[in-house]
Amino acid sequence: MKIKQTFLLASMLLFTSILKAQDSKNFLAAVGTPPNPKVQVSWNRYNDYTAITAICKKLAAAHPNLVKIESMGKSFQGKDLWVMTITDTKVGNADKKPAMYIDGNIHSNEIQGSEFALYTAWYLAEMYASGNKTIQSLLAEKTFYIAPTINPDARDNFLHQANTPNSPRTGMLPIDNDRDGQTNEDGFDDLDNDGHIVMMRRKNVNGRYKVDPTDSRRMILVGNDEKGEYELLGSEGIDNDGDGFVNEDGEGAYDPNRDWGWNWQPNYIQNGAYKYPFSIPENRAVVDFVMKHPNIAAAQSYHNNGGMILRGPGAIEDMDTYNAQDVKVYDDLGKKGEEILPGYRYLVVYKDLYSVFGGELDWFYGGRGIYTFSNELWTGYSMYNKPNGEDSQAQLYSFDKDLLMKDAFIDWHSFKHPTYGDIEIGGFKKTFTRLHPGFLLESDAHRNMAFSIYHAYNTPKLSVDEVEVKDIGGGLTQVTAVVSNQRMIPTHSSQDVKNNIETPDIISLSGGTVIAGMQVTNRDMNFTVEQKLDPTNLKVSNIAGNSFVTLRWLVKGGDKFTVTVTSKKGGIASKSN
Amino acid sequence: MKKYFLSLFFLFALGTAFAQNQQDYSNNATLAKRIKALADQNPQLVKYKSIAQTVGGKDIWMLTIGTGKHEQKPAIAVVGGVEGKHLLGVEMALGFAEKLIKNAKTDSIKTLLGKQTFYVFPNMSPDATEQYFAKVKSERSGNANPTDDDRDGKTNEDGSEDLDANGKITAMRVLDPTGKYKLNPDDSRSLILADASKGETGKYILLPEGIDNDKDGAFNEDDEGGVHFNKNSSFNYKNFVAGAGEYAVAEKENRALFELLFDAFNVYAVVTFGPVNNLSTPVTFNPAGISKRIITGWFESDAKANALVSEQYNKITKTKDAPKTQAENGDFSQWAYFHYGRLSFSTPGWWVPKVNPDTARKEKKFTNEDPTAAYLRWANSQGIANTFTPWKTVNHPDFPGQTVEVGGLDPFVLINPPYKMVDDIVTKHTNFIVGLSAMAPQLDFVNVKTEKVADGLTRITLKVMNTGDLPTYTKIGDRSYFLKKIVVDVAASANQSFVSGRKVQSLESIQGKDHKELSWLIKGSGKITISATSPTTGSKSIEVIL
Repeated sequence: MKIKQTFLLASMLLFTSILKAQDSKNFLAAVGTPPNPKVQVSWNRYNDYTAITAICKKLAAAHPNLVKIESMGKSFQGKDLWVMTITDTKVGNADKKPAMYIDGNIHSNEIQGSEFALYTAWYLAEMYASGNKTIQSLLAEKTFYIAPTINPDARDNFLHQANTPNSPRTGMLPIDNDRDGQTNEDGFDDLDNDGHIVMMRRKNVNGRYKVDPTDSRRMILVGNDEKGEYELLGSEGIDNDGDGFVNEDGEGAYDPNRDWGWNWQPNYIQNGAYKYPFSIPENRAVVDFVMKHPNIAAAQSYHNNGGMILRGPGAIEDMDTYNAQDVKVYDDLGKKGEEILPGYRYLVVYKDLYSVFGGELDWFYGGRGIYTFSNELWTGYSMYNKPNGEDSQAQLYSFDKDLLMKDAFIDWHSFKHPTYGDIEIGGFKKTFTRLHPGFLLESDAHRNMAFSIYHAYNTPKLSVDEVEVKDIGGGLTQVTAVVSNQRMIPTHSSQDVKNNIETPDIISLSGGTVIAGMQVTNRDMNFTVEQKLDPTNLKVSNIAGNSFVTLRWLVKGGDKFTVTVTSKKGGIASKSN
Repeated sequence: MKKYFLSLFFLFALGTAFAQNQQDYSNNATLAKRIKALADQNPQLVKYKSIAQTVGGKDIWMLTIGTGKHEQKPAIAVVGGVEGKHLLGVEMALGFAEKLIKNAKTDSIKTLLGKQTFYVFPNMSPDATEQYFAKVKSERSGNANPTDDDRDGKTNEDGSEDLDANGKITAMRVLDPTGKYKLNPDDSRSLILADASKGETGKYILLPEGIDNDKDGAFNEDDEGGVHFNKNSSFNYKNFVAGAGEYAVAEKENRALFELLFDAFNVYAVVTFGPVNNLSTPVTFNPAGISKRIITGWFESDAKANALVSEQYNKITKTKDAPKTQAENGDFSQWAYFHYGRLSFSTPGWWVPKVNPDTARKEKKFTNEDPTAAYLRWANSQGIANTFTPWKTVNHPDFPGQTVEVGGLDPFVLINPPYKMVDDIVTKHTNFIVGLSAMAPQLDFVNVKTEKVADGLTRITLKVMNTGDLPTYTKIGDRSYFLKKIVVDVAASANQSFVSGRKVQSLESIQGKDHKELSWLIKGSGKITISATSPTTGSKSIEVIL
C-alpha cells in the first residue's frame, strides 16, 4: 500500500514536471490562443453529453473564480441541462452585470453549436487566466451564461445511433407522425449494421438517375432526353409496421425551435410545433432560467448550416415588432459579424430564409426584448474559401476527395432488401454536409466566439459621468447628473419600452432630503419633466446606445451626494461629487 | 328532428331533489366533498383525481365518467370555472356529472355510459372562485400567482378596499368636472358614459372601490388576482396585459388541463361553461377566417356541425335572448377548437333575462343599453332585493375635498343567478350534453359485398360509414398529429394474401352520415376479419367469408 502510494506520488510529480517543462521550454504561444490552458480540449472532434459534462466540470474546477456550473433543469430523459456562468466573480455580482446568453444544439443533428459554445467558455476562462487584458476587462463588466446543449437526449441519439446528417432534428418525446395510434414504430434501419444511415439505390432501366461520370460515387438526375440507370429509394430502412410506408414514423419529429412562446402556432399551422408554448421540457428549463436572469441583454443560439447570421422576425406576421431603432442596432452588429465570419451573411429569418412561428430568437426578442442572433454554422465557402461552394453538390465530393481523403463517404455496396430486393447502399456519413470537418472546427468556433464577444461587449455600459451641485438659495441645493450608456445596445430595446417588459432604469440620489426630482430633456433651455411620486428614485424608460440622460434633484441639507443608476440589463454604476 | 332526443329530452324533467339541498354556490371544500361523494357512491362509474395543485394550494379536479376502458371510447370533455367570476359554470359542470350518474340506471343513460366517456373538469379557477366566499366579496379571475399586473416592478401592491365596510367590493364615483360618466336617465342608480358627440357633459369619475395604494394614479390595478385561466390559452393570446401571464399556457392550471386533453385522443367535443356562447347562435362560416396562415374562423364543415348542435341546444334548453358574446384573448373555448382541433361548444348557461317594462310600476322602455339597469329591472320583477348598495359618501384619502360615494351593484350578480335557479339550469344543460352525445361519430360497415373474381380470388367491397352526426375529427384538425386517423386493418390468415388493396391503411376524417368506399382483391379462402378503429369513434369489426 505504502509503496504503491509513493510510486503514485512520484509518477504524478514526474508527470506534472514533464508537462511544465514542455510548456515553458518547448512551445511558442501562437497569438490569440491561450498559451498554456489548464483544461486541455481537442477542438477537432465532437463530444457526447458525457464529454460535454466533463469539459464543463473541468472548466469550473480549474477556474473557480471565473466559471460556475449549474443545471437549468432536466431533459425529457432526465439529463441535467448545464449552464456555465462565466464572469470575474471578484468584480460585482454575476447576475447584475449585463449578460449574454449562448446556447447550442437546439436541433439535435446541429451538434457543432455545442462545441462552439464550449470553445467560447473555454476561451474566455483560459485567456483571462493567461493574463489577456481584453478578456479580463470584458469579464469584469459582463457575464456569459453558456449552455452547450439544450437538447442532450437527441444529441446522444445523433452521436451514438445510426443516423443521417438530418436526423434527428427533434428531441426524444415520442410522436405519432403518421397518426395511426403508434409512436416511433417505423424509423430508419441500419440495414448493413455499419453505424450509418445512407441512401438506397436500385438498378432500373427506367430510373431517372445515373452515375456521375466525373465522380462515380455521385448520383445525378438524367436529362429529359436521356435514359437513366438507377432509381433512388430514400434513406436506409424497411417498412417496420407493415403499413406500406418506409421510415414514416421515426424518433420524435417535432421541432424544438417551433415551441417558443412568441406568436406560437399549433402544428397544423406551424409544422413542428408541439402542444403549446414551452411544452418541450428542455425549452421550459431555458425559459425559467432566462426569466430569472433579467440581466441578459444579448443572446446567441447556434444552429447549422449555411453560414448565416440570423435575426428575427421569424414570421412575416411579426414584421411590426421590430422598429427602426432596434433594426439599426441589429444591422451594426450583424455587419460586423459578416466581417468576422467570412462566407457568412447577415439575414432576416422571415424574408431571407423562411417565415416560421415560435422560434427561439423570436421569444428572446419579442418576449424579453433581448437582442438575439442565431448563427447557422458551417458554410460551403470554407471548402475552397470561395463563395457559392455550398450551391454545388459536386464540390462536396471534390472537397471530400481533395481534403478529407474520402473519409466522408460510404461507398456503394450491395444489399438484399426484404421489399426492394437487390439494392445498393451508400452515401455521405452523418458527419458530413452539415457539420464541420475536424480541421475547420476550431477555426470557425474561434470566429463565432469573436462575434459573440463583440455582441456581448456592446451590451449597455452605464456610467454616471457628472454630478453637478449648485446652491440655489433658500436652503435648497440643485444636483444635476448625467448618466450615459457607452455601448451600442440600449438598456431597453424599443420592443421592451413599448410593452414595459422590464422595469425602467432607476437613477437615485442619496445625501440630503429630496424635495423634487425631474428628468432634464434640454439642459440649456431648462426643459424638465418632473416625477412627483418618489422623486429620489427617478425612473427612466430607456438609456439609448451611445447616449445619455440628464437628471436633476432639488435637495434640502447635505453636501455630499451620490448618484446611482440601477438597470436590469445595463448593470449598476454610481458617482459622488 | 330525431326521435332519440325526445326520449332523452324529458328524462330529467321529473326533477330530482338537488344535491345536498345546497343554498349557495360551492366553495372548494364543498366541491371536493361532492366530487368524492359522487365517486365513492358510484365506484364503477366515476373516477376522480387531482390533475394539479394551484399556486394557492387548491386542487384542479378531474372526473372520468363511464365504464370499461375509458380511453377507447368516444369522449366529451366538460369544463367549468374557466372564468373565475363565473360560479355558475362550476356548478353546471359538476351538476352535469351528478345528474348523469343519478340517472345511470335508466336504459338510455346506462347504454350511453357503456359507449362513451365523459371527462369533467368542474373548476379551472379554484383560486379565483374562492373569493366569492371571502369575508369581503369581490370578483376575481386570476389565480394565486403573484403578478405584476401594471408592470411596475411590484406585485399585488394595489388591491381593493371595502371602504363602506359592507363586505362587498362595488364601485365608487367621484364628483369631478373631468368625469366621463353621468347618471342613467332610465335608472339613476346606475351610471353610463356621457356622449360627448351629443353635447352631453360627464359629472362623475367611476372607479372600482378602493384606495390608490401605490399612488400611481390607477385604482386597484394590481390586486391579488394573478393569471386568468381564460386569458392564458395559446389561441389569440395577447402578451403583456394584466391577467395574461408572461406567455401563453404558462400556468399550472392551463398546462395540466392541456397535457391531459392532448393525451385524450378520444375527445370529439369539448363543452365549456364559460363566457363565450356559440350554442344559442352558432358561428358562421367566413372564408376570410381560413384564408390566411393563422386560421381565425371555423371551417365550413365544422361550422355546419356547430349549427346542428346549436339547433339541439336551443330545442333542449329552451333558452332565448342570449346576448352576443366576444371571446377575449387567450379564451379556452376558442383554444379547444383552434388549437386543440376539437368541436368546441360553449355557453354561459344563464344571462339576465329580458323583461318588458311593468306598467303597474310605471316602468318605461329603456333608452340606453345598460346591463346594470336591465339587471335591476329584472331583479325587481323577481323580488330580488339587496343586490344594490345605495351610493353613500365616504372620506377618501386620494380625493381630499371632493365628494366620493361608494355603492353600486353587487359583485357576481350579473353572470351568476340566485342559487335557487341553478338546479333547473343544470338539468337543461345535462339534457343538452346527453343530446350532444347522441350525435357522436360512430363507425359502421355498410354495403359489404363479396364477389368471386376467379377461383380462390375474392373481391371485397364495403363502405366505412360514419353513422353519427358529427365528423370523426374536425376539418381544422385535418393536419394536426394530435388527431388520429381511422385505421382499417384486414386480419388475413397465413393462407390468404393481398392481390390488391392494403392490409393496413389510415383514413382521413369522415363527416357525419358520410362514408368512404374500400375494396380488396384477396387470394385464399375462409374467414377474414376487417376492423376500423379510431379513438373518437371506437372500434368496429366484421367477418367476411371468402
